[in-house]
Amino acid sequence: MAEVSLSKVTKEFGAVSVIKGIDLQIADGEFCVFVGPSGCGKSTLLRMVAGLEEISSGALRIGGRDMTQVGPSDRGVAMVFQSYALYPHMTVAENIGFGLRMTGHDKAEIAKRTSAAAKMLQLDHLLDRKPGQLSGGQRQRVAIGRAIVRNPDVFLFDEPLSNLDAALRVQMRGEISRLHQDLGATMIYVTHDQVEAMTMADKIVVLSAGHIEQVGSPLELYHRPRNLFVAGFIGSPKMNFLTVEARPAPGGAEVTLPGGAVVTLAGQIAVAGQMTLGLRPEHASATGVGDAVLEGTVKLAEHLGSETLFFVALSDGSEIAVKADGLASERPGDRMRVGVPARACHLFDAAGQALINGDLTR
Amino acid sequence: MFPTPIQKASPAARIGYQVLLPVALMIWLIPLIGVAVTSLRPASDLAAGNYFGIPSGLAFENYAAVFRDSPIGWYILNSFKVTVPTVIGAVALSCLTGFALAVYGFRANLWVFFAFVAGNFIPFQILMVPVRDMTLRAGMYDTTLGLVLFHIAFQTGFCTLFMRNFIKGLPFALIESARVEGVSEWRIFRHIVLPLMRPAIAALSVLVFTFVWNDYFWATVLVQGQHAMPVTAGLYSLNGQWVAAWHLVSAGSIVAALPPVLMFFLMQRHFIAGLTLGATKG
Ligand SMILES: Nc1ncnc2c1ncn2[C@@H]1O[C@H](COP(=O)(O)OP(=O)(O)OP(=O)(O)O)[C@@H](O)[C@H]1O
Ligand SMILES: [Mg+2]
Repeated sequence: MAEVSLSKVTKEFGAVSVIKGIDLQIADGEFCVFVGPSGCGKSTLLRMVAGLEEISSGALRIGGRDMTQVGPSDRGVAMVFQSYALYPHMTVAENIGFGLRMTGHDKAEIAKRTSAAAKMLQLDHLLDRKPGQLSGGQRQRVAIGRAIVRNPDVFLFDEPLSNLDAALRVQMRGEISRLHQDLGATMIYVTHDQVEAMTMADKIVVLSAGHIEQVGSPLELYHRPRNLFVAGFIGSPKMNFLTVEARPAPGGAEVTLPGGAVVTLAGQIAVAGQMTLGLRPEHASATGVGDAVLEGTVKLAEHLGSETLFFVALSDGSEIAVKADGLASERPGDRMRVGVPARACHLFDAAGQALINGDLTR
Repeated sequence: MFPTPIQKASPAARIGYQVLLPVALMIWLIPLIGVAVTSLRPASDLAAGNYFGIPSGLAFENYAAVFRDSPIGWYILNSFKVTVPTVIGAVALSCLTGFALAVYGFRANLWVFFAFVAGNFIPFQILMVPVRDMTLRAGMYDTTLGLVLFHIAFQTGFCTLFMRNFIKGLPFALIESARVEGVSEWRIFRHIVLPLMRPAIAALSVLVFTFVWNDYFWATVLVQGQHAMPVTAGLYSLNGQWVAAWHLVSAGSIVAALPPVLMFFLMQRHFIAGLTLGATKG
């Protein structure tokens, strides 16, 4: 059992507060992903779990044991570094077996575990090479191999795929997910890649400026973002935000869109006022189908083959992205009627908190 | 921008380069050539005042005379007895101090480091009297051990500066990675940092070896008797009581200069760049 729990964890570098009170429970065997913009403290938080950064205040428990004051070598975690940190003077086999050798395992055991890990990661034929003679993807697999031979309860990954090309990234993503299924270990994974977070995670933790914005499953965050930050961060292309007037009405919330169209959202709001309406590009309709229509001019069309992304300028100057069929033929300068389906709309108050979520899973 | 390679420069610049380079080389080598030529000059030339002209013959017997007339073999042995322990001691110590200063962020870290660096700025001549008194009282005056201890103490400052900066340049993630793997600090030093320091150790060994081998000042300050005299100071005894035997001193100097050169070639294969290649994404 290796659940990880953080309570009121903070980190200060001198006078600078980097992690501002994190409470988080990660269950045994869970795949937890930290996402957030650059500099928000993802790596720092992960390093605090590893024991490489001291915890300024608060408590960390791994597998029920208080680890707050325990050194990195006694925490029973394995970490794959953002830079792979392979030992350059050792062969792949030595790299993988080093930790075991240093912690007093016998030769036969090391050889057995090394070859098992190498097989799992398809490194068998590279065991005698030095890291300098490997490609980026191979180095990355060695770094993972070094982590798995130790049979740790908790794996920590710091953006392990960030320097790989797109194809390799897709492949490694699959391999890490498979590894997680095979080993059933708890994994904490830092990334700023949307797709990695959405596809791999059981649980996503969205961080911003050292505190947690929201914790939840990928679909939960996609459908029920708690605030503007999460709504804008999860999902690609990014959610559209429109400044609107909203007021309580008998059937829900009555929202006046730019251009004057009115749409009624199911859900209660307390007061009227200027608010932000969120609508994902994939839920807007380029053919004008929906509960209300926004009129605009196409500014830019990105043809991706499978789909087309239109950027449409509305009458009030705001811009909205619309995902359409790959065969859509509108060109820049054309008029477009954008359909707004009420049930996919999110409404945020002036402070950015979600009042109504356009949760399509309802 | 980068300077243009000389092969691609204008013809005038190329010719100038080809003429000036050998000239500069000659000027630079003149003292060395002078000593080499003098070492082969027959004693009669010097007696006749032919110091810088063409030697009247090649007197290889000067070299034999050096070994015959003076205990130079013994002096060289003394030099080794001083230099080798100093190199080992200073380099080993500075590997440890450098590691500690580069890796651990303890409170007084910077001050300790400054102390090591500042030590290098003290002109060592002003320490002559106190150091001599100290060695005398410690009963190590006129012994190789005294010289060794003093040299180690004096070399470690610079060596620590060198090693600390070298270790700072290694990817710190290697150390962190080993820590997470459960490796003890000593073993991290022994199995990860030390192998990667090979080029630094080689370079520093050659440097310290040459420096200590060529030391004349402390050899004369801390040693009096022949039994502990290193070769630099010992060469002086080649001069006759009344006349300066430059030909013998030169021959002795050439012999004495060989070990540092040898040391350089021995260590050369360890001066390798790119030892940390592949450690990181690159
Ligand atoms: N040793 C340090 N001293 C002072 N500030 C630091 C230190 N390490 C990190 N920080 C600061 O802490 C903040 C969080 O850094 P961190 O490396 O955790 O960001 P991150 O979320 O991993 O970003 P990225 O996605 O770019 O890797 C940054 O603002 C950074 O400047
Ligand atoms: Mg980071």
